[in-house]
Amino acid sequence: MAFKRTPQVFSASINEVTLGTGEKAVTIGGGNTMPLYSFDAPPKHKVAIGVEITDTGVDKTLPGMAAYYEGAETLTDIAKRAAEMPGADFVVLALDGADPNGDNRPVDECIAIAKEVADAIDVPLAITGSKNVEKDTELFSKLAEALQGRNVLFVSAREENYKTIAASAVMAYGNKISAESAVDINLAKQLNVLLTQMGIQPTSFVMNVGSAAAGYGYDYVASTLDRVRDAALTQNDAMLQMPIITPVASEAWNVKESIVSEEDFPEWGSRESRGVSMEICTAASVIAGGSDAVILRHPESVKTISGMIAGLM
Amino acid sequence: MYTLTFKIEGKPDVKCQVEAGTNILDAAVAEGVEIDAPCAGNGTCGKCRVRLISGAVEMPSNPHLPYIDYEEMWRLACQSKVIGDAVVWVPATASAFKEDIATADLSTPAELARYEKAMDDIFSSGLARGCTEKGCGVAIDIGTTTVTAALLDLDTGKVLSKASRGNGQIRFGADVINRIIQQMKPGGKERLQKAVREETLFPIIQALLKDSGKSETDISRIVIAGNTTMEHLFMGADGDSIRLEPYVPEFLELSGVTIKDAGMPGKPDAPVILAPNVGSYVGGDITAGVLDTMLWNSDEMTLFIDLGTNGELVFGNRDYMLCCACSAGPAFEGGDISCGMRATKGAIDSVHIDDDTLEPEYTLISGDKPLGLCGSGLIDIISELFRTGAVNAKGRFVRESKRIRYDEFGGTYIVAFEDESGSGKQIELTEGDLDNFIRAKGAIFSAIRTMLKSLDMTVDNIDRIIIAGGIGSGINMEKAISIGMLPKVPLEKYSYIGNSSLTGACAMLISDEATQKVFDIGRNMTYIELSTEPGYMDEFLAACFLPHTDATLFD
Repeated sequence: MAFKRTPQVFSASINEVTLGTGEKAVTIGGGNTMPLYSFDAPPKHKVAIGVEITDTGVDKTLPGMAAYYEGAETLTDIAKRAAEMPGADFVVLALDGADPNGDNRPVDECIAIAKEVADAIDVPLAITGSKNVEKDTELFSKLAEALQGRNVLFVSAREENYKTIAASAVMAYGNKISAESAVDINLAKQLNVLLTQMGIQPTSFVMNVGSAAAGYGYDYVASTLDRVRDAALTQNDAMLQMPIITPVASEAWNVKESIVSEEDFPEWGSRESRGVSMEICTAASVIAGGSDAVILRHPESVKTISGMIAGLM
Repeated sequence: MYTLTFKIEGKPDVKCQVEAGTNILDAAVAEGVEIDAPCAGNGTCGKCRVRLISGAVEMPSNPHLPYIDYEEMWRLACQSKVIGDAVVWVPATASAFKEDIATADLSTPAELARYEKAMDDIFSSGLARGCTEKGCGVAIDIGTTTVTAALLDLDTGKVLSKASRGNGQIRFGADVINRIIQQMKPGGKERLQKAVREETLFPIIQALLKDSGKSETDISRIVIAGNTTMEHLFMGADGDSIRLEPYVPEFLELSGVTIKDAGMPGKPDAPVILAPNVGSYVGGDITAGVLDTMLWNSDEMTLFIDLGTNGELVFGNRDYMLCCACSAGPAFEGGDISCGMRATKGAIDSVHIDDDTLEPEYTLISGDKPLGLCGSGLIDIISELFRTGAVNAKGRFVRESKRIRYDEFGGTYIVAFEDESGSGKQIELTEGDLDNFIRAKGAIFSAIRTMLKSLDMTVDNIDRIIIAGGIGSGINMEKAISIGMLPKVPLEKYSYIGNSSLTGACAMLISDEATQKVFDIGRNMTYIELSTEPGYMDEFLAACFLPHTDATLFD
């Protein structure tokens, strides 16, 4: 008997959320099949890749990174270079220096930096903060005002500060936010409910359901992604149909494999190739789990993952 | 040696000589000065406040005593050491737990009618009245917080007198875990046993005898129903078996216990019957309570919820019964809540909040001015704060009003300003309190869901829901449903049966067949250990939201 293919297409679908403005604006989400099942139905939008740059500069201790950004001295140069990276869909500015436990860069300086980056590029911009709740609340609120009309994505609003960030970033200045929760389907849904109850439109935010580098408790991430997508598509749960963005770089480049030096672990080989491997493994996993956008740092990772997306979607 | 003087509001002073370094709470306990210490002196509840009038005591800073209060010379008795002669003032609220506890102890016409009906039901089901012993007997419900008892004529089955009293073990901790920890300290077994036997049951039995005109020698049968921990502490069995893995209690059933063995007043050789336990956290109070619910004799799928310090659930009908326990924590009885209190004088038991101004209107159990919120008041206020949009679904304050104050710890709702409250101190509900309560209600609701799920059932399969426990009498079911504490089923399916444990114990007292029935119930119940149930944590997190993460459950 001949094989008869039955496409598994759901009547429910993931929301579509657009980042940026103009020709290079990027829309993510819209899917109504299992992740990467492009044989069931053509994907509405490809998984998008954001290239991360930081206010603290390029990590020149990594030869590949140093080579790619060679000659780019100012943040404007670095941002342009990131936007031009083959496979890049948008640029992510990580304001690592804003961390009160680190450089504690003042909000005014952060605004100047963000404006410089935004002016340098024509692709959409996402901004990740200090990960400090109080600082990010102020930072995102002020940045949202300064970047009004650019349709910037702020990553992330959490349960502790979603109210202020959503009110300023989305309601007052028309930008987008990502709702971050800690690897739990219920917590993810609860934050989405709270945002919706505030009057935030489902098309104005994405979610970051939390991540871990592959091998670092990733099994929790895998089951969370599976369950979130399952609820969105098979149960038509409107409170879980937001597109998912996963900041992979900050996880993958902060684990032992990506940090310890070659001198200390000669048998492990090049630190850069280890970090790239971690980044690629993690990104490939979250995309297979249903992530609609990933944030990556290394040009090699971006090349590999964009190749994978092109091949599968 | 120093002189420590307790100036007790409304009572004569108590003076004692103590060594330097003596803990004030310990000194108070030794002198019989009543100070409520639900956390057993761990410094984690902030309830044992006394005010230093003169002299000095040493107390490290404690998060449960705000700096302003410290400046005003308030101290936590359990954290204070004597370092010289001192005079401390003990406010009346500190000893309120002993008096006026609103208990379902057959003292109102409604409770009596419920009792009569329950007895009729039990003995029209085919079980015969009558027991081997003659004379009179005592049925006792040993609750973690309150002990209630009734003296019955064994021949006629009539209630001759009844009495209740706070459990004297309370100063060793509000919950069973703290009691067990105290029991396992050197001399602890004797102390805990003495606290329940001599300090609690003796006076109760004396009162029962006095009111009925009977004498000790008339007592020829005693039935005791208590949770597993209470029965262990009463008998002097190791409580650690309940607290530690694999959570297998020292005993489920005991036979052959006599009044002499149990150290109770009465005929020495007469029997003391303990209602059987099912597991570490489902005990004799539940098996006796199930007899009262008639669940065992009905085709209707019945959910029985005992809302005490622990929440216990039984679900089933005449064919099978499942039971489980969840640690709701002491929130329903006012513990772990900054303005929480037991259902005594001055406790707010129902609340309405104005939609626009957020001004509260409330009723008290008794008294003129509020002192705090009891369990049913808490359910009401949280439901009202949520309904008016003052708090969001996560229990965070989101509205502005003169009643809401924001600081670095989040929002606080002022239930009563200083001039409105009975103690002259503001009555406040903080976000921390909301968190504690939401966890408690989440524990109950997720336990219900998990138990039903294990049978592949949903709340739609429930024909009736019976609520028991001290919190129950004042509980507003509609509001409890609105915050997702109880499942959304038609209100007429809900009923409240008061102290089912005592009623069950009374039936056991006057009938050998009823006693046998309770033992059968105990053996037939399937005990589900929620902590090892894979889906429970997930259900719990989903239930820690107002009303629930899955809003369709409450549409």
